[in-house]
Amino acid sequence: MNSSPNINSPERWDRPFGPDMTENDVDRALEFSALGAVDPNLFPKNRPLREIIKNDGRIVHYKRGDIIIRNGDYGNSVFLILQGCVRIVINEPREQHRPKKGRRSFFRAVSQLWRNATVPERRDVSIYENSASKIRRGEVTSAQVHLTDVSGYIATHETIQLAEGTSFGEIAALSRTPRTATVFAETELELLELRWQGLRDIRRRDAGIRETFNQHYRKNRLEAQLRSSPLLAHLDTESLGEIIKHTLLEMYGSEDWFYAYMKIEARESSDVIAAEPVIIEQHSYLDGLLLICSGHARLSEGLDHGERTVGYLKSNDAFGLEEIMDQWRNGTELLAQRSLRAVGHVEVLRIPTALVEKHILPSLPASLLPELKNADNVLAWDADSQEKGLEQSLLDFFTDQRIINGTETMMINTARCTGCDDCVRACAATHDNNPRFIRHGPVHGNIQVANSCMHCADPVCLVECPTGAIGQSVIDGRVMIDDPLCIGCGNCANSCPYNNIQLVEVRNRSGDFIIDTETSAPIVKATKCDLCFGQLGGPACQRACPHDALVRMDLHNMDEVLGWIGK
Amino acid sequence: MTFASRRFGALCLSIVLAAGLIWLAMAYDLTLRDASYLTGWLLFGGVVLASTFNMRKKLPFLPLLNASIWLQIHIYIGWLLVVLFFLHTSLEWPLGWFEGVLWFLFVLVSLSGLIGLFLSRSLPVRIQNHGERLIFERIPQFRAELADEVEVLATRSVRETASNTIALYYVNRLQAYFSGPKNLVAHLLESRAALTKHRREIDSLERYLQEDGREILANIKDLIVAKDNLDYQYSLQLVLRLWLFVHIPLTYALLLVALVHIVLTYAFSGATL
Repeated sequence: MNSSPNINSPERWDRPFGPDMTENDVDRALEFSALGAVDPNLFPKNRPLREIIKNDGRIVHYKRGDIIIRNGDYGNSVFLILQGCVRIVINEPREQHRPKKGRRSFFRAVSQLWRNATVPERRDVSIYENSASKIRRGEVTSAQVHLTDVSGYIATHETIQLAEGTSFGEIAALSRTPRTATVFAETELELLELRWQGLRDIRRRDAGIRETFNQHYRKNRLEAQLRSSPLLAHLDTESLGEIIKHTLLEMYGSEDWFYAYMKIEARESSDVIAAEPVIIEQHSYLDGLLLICSGHARLSEGLDHGERTVGYLKSNDAFGLEEIMDQWRNGTELLAQRSLRAVGHVEVLRIPTALVEKHILPSLPASLLPELKNADNVLAWDADSQEKGLEQSLLDFFTDQRIINGTETMMINTARCTGCDDCVRACAATHDNNPRFIRHGPVHGNIQVANSCMHCADPVCLVECPTGAIGQSVIDGRVMIDDPLCIGCGNCANSCPYNNIQLVEVRNRSGDFIIDTETSAPIVKATKCDLCFGQLGGPACQRACPHDALVRMDLHNMDEVLGWIGK
Repeated sequence: MTFASRRFGALCLSIVLAAGLIWLAMAYDLTLRDASYLTGWLLFGGVVLASTFNMRKKLPFLPLLNASIWLQIHIYIGWLLVVLFFLHTSLEWPLGWFEGVLWFLFVLVSLSGLIGLFLSRSLPVRIQNHGERLIFERIPQFRAELADEVEVLATRSVRETASNTIALYYVNRLQAYFSGPKNLVAHLLESRAALTKHRREIDSLERYLQEDGREILANIKDLIVAKDNLDYQYSLQLVLRLWLFVHIPLTYALLLVALVHIVLTYAFSGATL
C-alpha cells in the first residue's frame, strides 16, 4: 500500500498575501488608490486585476508613530495609502530603528546533532496543508518599531508628507534595491500593501500606472538617490534642486537579461561584450555625468581588435567626471575616454554637463577629484594598468561570468583546497542534512566560484517568481526562499545564470515523497544557500574550512577581494 | 594577515613555548622532583587538546572559532608535543613491549600528521596545475564514460577501416587500462612513464593504418590522455583522503594506550619511591 502523503499541487495564489482580503477590501483599494485608474480590460481572464489585488495585496493598519519601512530595508512590496497619511524621513542614517537579527538558541543549535533528518529533503507536511499565512523566513515581523514622540520627531527631522491616494516603496520593490528612506505613520493609517509580483503584473499592462510611478520616482526618490552619491552629497538644496529638475533617468538592458545571457555559448568574452547594451561608446560625445543607480556596468576601452575591460561600475559609481573635469580645466573636447556597457539591467542618471560644471566641480572635495588617465599605449596583460589592481584575466573572468553580481560569492582557492568536503558536510549539518551548494563551478587559475547562491546585488531569480516565495530579506538583502510559499515552478532556478538554485522533491518524516493529489507527481521545491540563516556564527561552510581555502566574498568590495587573493 | 606572517608569528610563539617547556622540565629536575610526571601529563593533555579538532568538525553549527584557527592550533600543539615527547622519554628507546607500543604509536601519529600536513599543502597545488579539477566522487563515472567511448571507437575501427589493428590493441592493452584506476603510485611520484609508453605504442601503430584508421587512433590517443588525467586526479585526491584514515584511528589508539600507561604508572609508582 502506498503510504505517500497527498497534497494539492501548490499554485500561485494558494497562499494569498493577505488571507483575510475580501471583495469589499478590493473595492476600497480600487476606490481610494491609484489602482482605480487602471483599466481592468487590459488584464487576461485568468489573471484579472481584482484577483491580483485580492491575492497579491493585503490591508494593513498602523497606529500613529508606527514605522512602516526603514531606510536600508530590502523591499518586496509597494504601499498604497487608503486612509491617513505618512511621513518620509529624509537623510536618516540606515542604522536607525533596526532590530537585531534573530538567532536560534545554543541548545537548539546543538540539538541538530540528533534532530537532523535521515532522509533527504524532509518537510513537515502540515505546513503545506495549512493555508494560513506563516511568518516568512528571513523577515522580522515582530520587529515593529514605534516612534513615541511623533510631533517632536517631525519637528527635528526633515520629512515629506504623503497623503491618501499616493503610494511609496514601488521603486525599491521593482528595482530590487534597498529602501532609501524611513516611512512612518503620521496618523492612524490604512494601507494596501501589494507584493511586487502583483505590482509587476499591473505595471506591465497599464501605461498610466507606469507614468505615475515615474513621477513618484522623480518627486520622492531622485533626491535621495542623488544625495547618496559622494559627488553630490556636499551640494546645497538649491543646487541639488536644479540638478534634480534636469536629470534624466535612463534604463539599459532588459530586466530579464539572464535569458539572453544564458544563451551565449561558453560565455566567450567577445560574445558576452557584444550582447551588452552600450550606454556610451568610447570616443563618442559625452553630454553629461552618468551615475549608476542600480545594476552593474562594464568599463572598457578598445585595444587592437578587441575590447579591454578596465573595471566595472556599481550603484553610486560615476562615469565621465574625468572627461568633464578635463574639458572644464583645459578646454579639451568632451569625448568619452572609455566605453560603458550595461551588464544586465542598469539604471543610470544622466546629469547635464553644464550643471556638473556649475554645481559639482567647483565645490568638489579634493579627495574626490579624479586623475585623468591616458587610455592609449596600455598593454593587454598589464596588471598595473588596471584601476582596481586586479589581474586583467581575472577581471575579465569576474565580469564575463557576471560574478560581479555577488555579494556573498563562495570562492575557493583550489591551490589550498584539499577536497576534504568539510564545507559540504558543515552545510548539510546546518540544513537538516541537505547540502545547499556544490563544490564545483567556473574556475580561473586557482580561483573557483562554487555553485552556491551568491546573494546577488541584482537577484534576477526573483523576477519571474509568481508567488513571492523567493525574496530579499528586509534586514540584510540576502535572498531567501519561503518554502511553504514555493510552488516548485522552477522559474527561479531557470532564471539564475549561475545554476545556484536546485529543485528538489520533498518527503515527509517517514521518507515518503509528498505527492500532488491531482497529478500524483512528487511535490517540488526550490532550494539554495541561505547563508545559514538563524545559525549561530554565520555561514558554516566558511567556518568549517580548515585550510583557509573557502571564503564568502562581496565582489563590490575590491579591497577584500585583493586582500584574499594576495594572502 | 598573510599566510606567511601568520606562519612566522605562530612559529615564534611555538619556539617561545617550547623553550618555556624545556626550562620548566629542567627547573623541575633541579628541585629533585620527577619531571616525567609533569611532562607526561602535559603530553597527555596536549594530545587530548589536539584531538578535539576532530570534535570541532562535528559541530559546525556552533560558534567555536573557524576550523582554520583550530587547525593552526592543532599543528603547533603537534610540534610542542614532539618537544614534550623528547623531554618525557629523554630520547631513549622504550623499555618493554607496552612502552614500545606507546612509543611507536606516538611516533606514527606524529609522522602521519607531518606527512598529512605536507600532503595537504603540496597536493592541491599539483592537482590545480594539472588540468581541470574534478570532484572525487564523480571520477568513476567519468572513467566509465571514457571506457565506453574508447570501446565504441575500437568497434567502429573494425567496421569502417576493414582492419583489426586498433581492435586488437584495444582488447590487449586498452580494455584493462580503462577498466579502473591505474598507475596510482606513479602519479604520486609525478612519473609520466605510463602515458609516454601508451603514446609510443599508439605512434607505432600508425604505420599500419590508413587515413580513416589514423583519425580513430588520434581520438583514442586523446582519450588515453584524458584517462591519465583522471588517474592523476584520483591518485592524489585519494591520498588526500586516506591519510586521515591513518592519523585519526592511530590517535584514538594512542589516547587509549596512554590512558592505560597513566594508570599503570600510578599503580606501580610506589616501587620507584
